[in-house]
Amino acid sequence: MDSEDDMHDANDVDSYEEDYYSGDAMYSEDEDDAGYEFLHNDSDDSDDVLVSRQQKNYTILKEDDILQRQEDDITTICSVLSISRDSACMLLRRYNWNVSNVHEAWFANEDKVRKAVGLLDKTEFKPPKAGELPCGICFESYPLDKTSSAACGHPFCNTCWTAYISTSINDGPGCLTLRCPIPSCGAAVGVNMVNMLTSDEDKKKYRRYLLRSYIEDNRKTKWCPAPGCDFAIEFDLGSGSYDVTCHCSYSFCWNCTEEAHRPVDCETVSKWIMKNSAESENMNWILANSKPCPKCKRPIEKNQGCMHMTCNPPCKYEFCWLCLGQWSDHGERTGGFYACNRYESAKQEGAYDESERRREMAKNSLERYTHYYERWATNQSSRQKALADLHQMQTVHLAKLSEKQCQPETQLKFIIEAWLQIVECRRVLKWTYAYGYYLPEHELAKRQFFEYLQGEAEAGLERLHQCAEKELHTYLNDDASQDAFNNFRTKLAGLTSVTRNYFENLVRALENGLSDVDAHGASSKTSSSKNAAGTSKSKGTKGKGSNKVGTTSRTDDSTGWACDQCTYMNPKNATSCQMCNNGR
Amino acid sequence: MQASRARLFKEYKEVQREKVADPDIQLVCDDSNIFKWTALIKGPSETPYEGGVFQLAFSVPEQYPLQPPQVRFLTKIFHPNVHFKTGEICLDILKNAWSPAWTLQSVCRAIIALMAHPEPDSPLNCDSGNLLRSGDVRGFQSMAKMYTRLAAMPKKG
Repeated sequence: MDSEDDMHDANDVDSYEEDYYSGDAMYSEDEDDAGYEFLHNDSDDSDDVLVSRQQKNYTILKEDDILQRQEDDITTICSVLSISRDSACMLLRRYNWNVSNVHEAWFANEDKVRKAVGLLDKTEFKPPKAGELPCGICFESYPLDKTSSAACGHPFCNTCWTAYISTSINDGPGCLTLRCPIPSCGAAVGVNMVNMLTSDEDKKKYRRYLLRSYIEDNRKTKWCPAPGCDFAIEFDLGSGSYDVTCHCSYSFCWNCTEEAHRPVDCETVSKWIMKNSAESENMNWILANSKPCPKCKRPIEKNQGCMHMTCNPPCKYEFCWLCLGQWSDHGERTGGFYACNRYESAKQEGAYDESERRREMAKNSLERYTHYYERWATNQSSRQKALADLHQMQTVHLAKLSEKQCQPETQLKFIIEAWLQIVECRRVLKWTYAYGYYLPEHELAKRQFFEYLQGEAEAGLERLHQCAEKELHTYLNDDASQDAFNNFRTKLAGLTSVTRNYFENLVRALENGLSDVDAHGASSKTSSSKNAAGTSKSKGTKGKGSNKVGTTSRTDDSTGWACDQCTYMNPKNATSCQMCNNGR
Repeated sequence: MQASRARLFKEYKEVQREKVADPDIQLVCDDSNIFKWTALIKGPSETPYEGGVFQLAFSVPEQYPLQPPQVRFLTKIFHPNVHFKTGEICLDILKNAWSPAWTLQSVCRAIIALMAHPEPDSPLNCDSGNLLRSGDVRGFQSMAKMYTRLAAMPKKG
């Protein structure tokens, strides 16, 4: 039995189960899934793809790491420019913590940089050797030791300094660019003065702002957006996928900081999210809970009372909620006010089909959105559920299973992996609905192909989910034989790997904008020898049976022919499509 | 509270001395409340405000001088950065660019400078700002002069 079968047998679970149990070790990593690689954008070797996928192009930083890096950067600047740590820190902050930018600017025009940052190399105000100085804020006179000044030398009494710095710290991160209070001066007030003159609480706040600045001002780092998470992510810019997963297990897109959304691009996601916030709460609710007044067409919510509706002035139309007919027609002869039999009988006769149909038409565009939104939201909640199940599995079930089957937990990792895959698949699937919503209606071939792929993905995931949930339960509760459990292991691990590959290919295909539908020549690569085997049983056709897909030119390709229905590139000698069984 | 009082008292004494020094500004502290001040400033020469005398009201917060005083025109004035109805002034040093080294006296000086150099790009009075932005300097000047004459000059006869 060949592995190619099962992804295409989506509608035929029985035959699939049967195939499965009769198979032996079908899914070794390296020769499993040619049939699912419906698009060969990369190499044929799925292992390579897997490895490159898992290579991290980001680093997760703990608070200690951040502080360490900050210290290192400051030390570098200190030693290269021979300036104080205080000045180095202010310089770095000014240049968004980019060491090479600091070097560049400094060596290009030191005076200009000094002026911009407020690092004066000579004092503007020379205090006398002895005597008293007037504070520039409270105007009192103080002995020298009770006053302080920034590099400029303008004296202020320590009490006023404390109040001045504290006010600024409590105003927000602007305190990091604090200057001497003399408006024309501009000398910077750095961390040294803050440490000397402020309360512990203010020092803490200041350090916090400094830490945040290191992450937020730097183009290469961002905070993890999960609530309550203190990790930051450093990302290698220009290195492929934006998806990152924080130590807190939250996955997000580094580019737009929305939750991870491959295969959909950031722009579509923001459109979709905007649409959801604008419409789901309003239009969906209106759709579900209201009917338009038959006369003035304003939507009406019926939240209590009888079927006798009276529209708001100025319309004041009286009608029946059930049949939307005029209320004056209702009475004894229609079976009494509170039982509109007319609706029932009319429906039976089909008299209302026309108006109902028109109402449908009007709602159509909204329903299209609702259709995608509902599925998007359902996958979202399924994902939450799967996450909870995964947690339950890790904390409770795994130990129990280990006990029952006398296997160390390390050997049960395949179950966790399966659940992780389920969670990931739900995420991808969810976003495919946003993708589908924005797929242009007139690109019929793409739509059909997309719906086919999505349907297959859903079916594949369902199988995996079923196996990881239902079948596992039997082993949790009964003492099944060792052999049976080993079979189960093979099956679940195989399903996980197959599903992973399928979804990775799906993601790539969608990210390419399903370009293979246009450039069908590119897909000719798929007619490798592996594909030729064992797909004759396939019946997973989801196409709508239309033949509007580009028809003629596909047949003359010397390497094979593309199916009109599903666009699959078949070998020359095949008489019907190996994917969907459609005749040539 | 104590600090702001002490500082305002210093300013009060300073004002008494400076009265002669700066004839364009006349700062007066409220008899019963040191946190309320009024000022009379002369419209700067070679501006449509020349010849007018404008009254300002100061309301000083307790955190003064760490927080800026609130200032508004009591005299009606046609100026892009002054609200035509309330007299509110849009000036950076009265908002985020405040420094405790400023005094009420120096705020008055800054307001006189603002009268001479309006900032039509961040207007509180859009009509006035639009006149300047569209390049209608004559239009702006004649409006401003009219209001100066109507509101900021002593009535003759």
